Amino acid sequence: MTSQIYRYASKLALVPRGLSVMLAFGLVWAAPAQAQDAKTIASTVCSACHGEDGNSLVPMFPKIAGLQEEYIVKQLRDFKSGRRKGDIMAPVVAALKAEDFLPLASYFSSQKMKAGEVDDKKLADLGKLVFFDGNEDSGLPACVGCHQAQGAGHTIYPRIGGQHGTYVSQQLKNFAAGDRSNDVSRFMRVAAKRMTEEEINAVSAYVATLGAK
Amino acid sequence: MKKLLAVLAVVSMLPVATMAQTPSWFEIKGELKTALESKGDVKRGEVSFEQCVGCHRADASGRVSGAYPRLSGQHDTVLVKQIVDIRSGRRNNPKMEPFIGDHVLDAYQIADVAAYLSGLPIALANGKGPGTLVAKGKELFDKDCAVCHGPKGQGDVAKFYPMVSAQHYKYLLREVNFIRDGDRRNSNPDMVKVIKPYTNGELEAVADYMASLAAPSK
Repeated sequence: MTSQIYRYASKLALVPRGLSVMLAFGLVWAAPAQAQDAKTIASTVCSACHGEDGNSLVPMFPKIAGLQEEYIVKQLRDFKSGRRKGDIMAPVVAALKAEDFLPLASYFSSQKMKAGEVDDKKLADLGKLVFFDGNEDSGLPACVGCHQAQGAGHTIYPRIGGQHGTYVSQQLKNFAAGDRSNDVSRFMRVAAKRMTEEEINAVSAYVATLGAK
Repeated sequence: MKKLLAVLAVVSMLPVATMAQTPSWFEIKGELKTALESKGDVKRGEVSFEQCVGCHRADASGRVSGAYPRLSGQHDTVLVKQIVDIRSGRRNNPKMEPFIGDHVLDAYQIADVAAYLSGLPIALANGKGPGTLVAKGKELFDKDCAVCHGPKGQGDVAKFYPMVSAQHYKYLLREVNFIRDGDRRNSNPDMVKVIKPYTNGELEAVADYMASLAAPSK
């Protein structure tokens, strides 16, 4: 609403002023306002932890490049409302406007998540079994069911292919303990609770290697 | 062929309940009634089924190991009843139960999933039994089981009797044991009575035979 008023006011102001002023305003307003804002917020607010293009370099901070738009919006909303807890994210998101969520999500979603390196081949191989078959004895569903081949995810199921293993294992532990509880239909809390620590570490090691090289 | 397709199209548009008869061994009420009276939406069912494929696989073929049954092509009435029974606790299934509470699916979505699954092509490969007990199994099946489950194990959509042909052997074996021993509490009491005297070997034989039966061409 305010931006509309400003836009109107600036148009009025342009008429009597010089060409250079007109050009300067013209450049700012000609770019799609939302995309411009999202990119500015991304580089001034998000990039310090998540990286300029959403490929964070710090394993405890998730890569958000290539995550599903719907998923990113949901996480931002959940951080804002307190449904998802995060000591670092809570104050950051509190300072964001809810109308920025979709443009931000759209921007990071359009980036590509980069695959990580294989640290422990044997562990990753066990993780591959868990990823594709789950565990029939404990009733652990296969990750591939929702998160799809290559961990690409879709709609409400986030991309996990290429995500930092450290982050994935921490989230699984948080789900299992109930510290993270913003999953749709409690699915991840039930699934993570059925995982052994070895399965968590293994599948985290495996998914980190998936995705775009 | 065109005529047949037209008839099939009309039949598939009917609510699940029009296919169902009033059973003697359980009451159609509550969400079971709602789901059976609802016209399942295949497209919506496909979306609802997404959360199930981690176990039942994307083509609903289940696991050859028998850990999870094949659901593709199963009768919609059977699927609706089993889902409702599992989430109400009448059928004990702790692995599945937390994934199909009413926080996941409402009664209409149960009908959607059933409509989607019943229309899927039946995956050919199923887990087979030893194969050595088929003859013995056929004898028992023809005598005791065929009257309800059909001579080819095709089941009966109107009577809530599941198709048992082309199901995974280990799954069939586990369930017939549960039914005989009273652990599958939503079973038809008439069936429990019939297989109560069955030995483990006889259950294996019947399961071996059922798993050897080809899926009916729909």
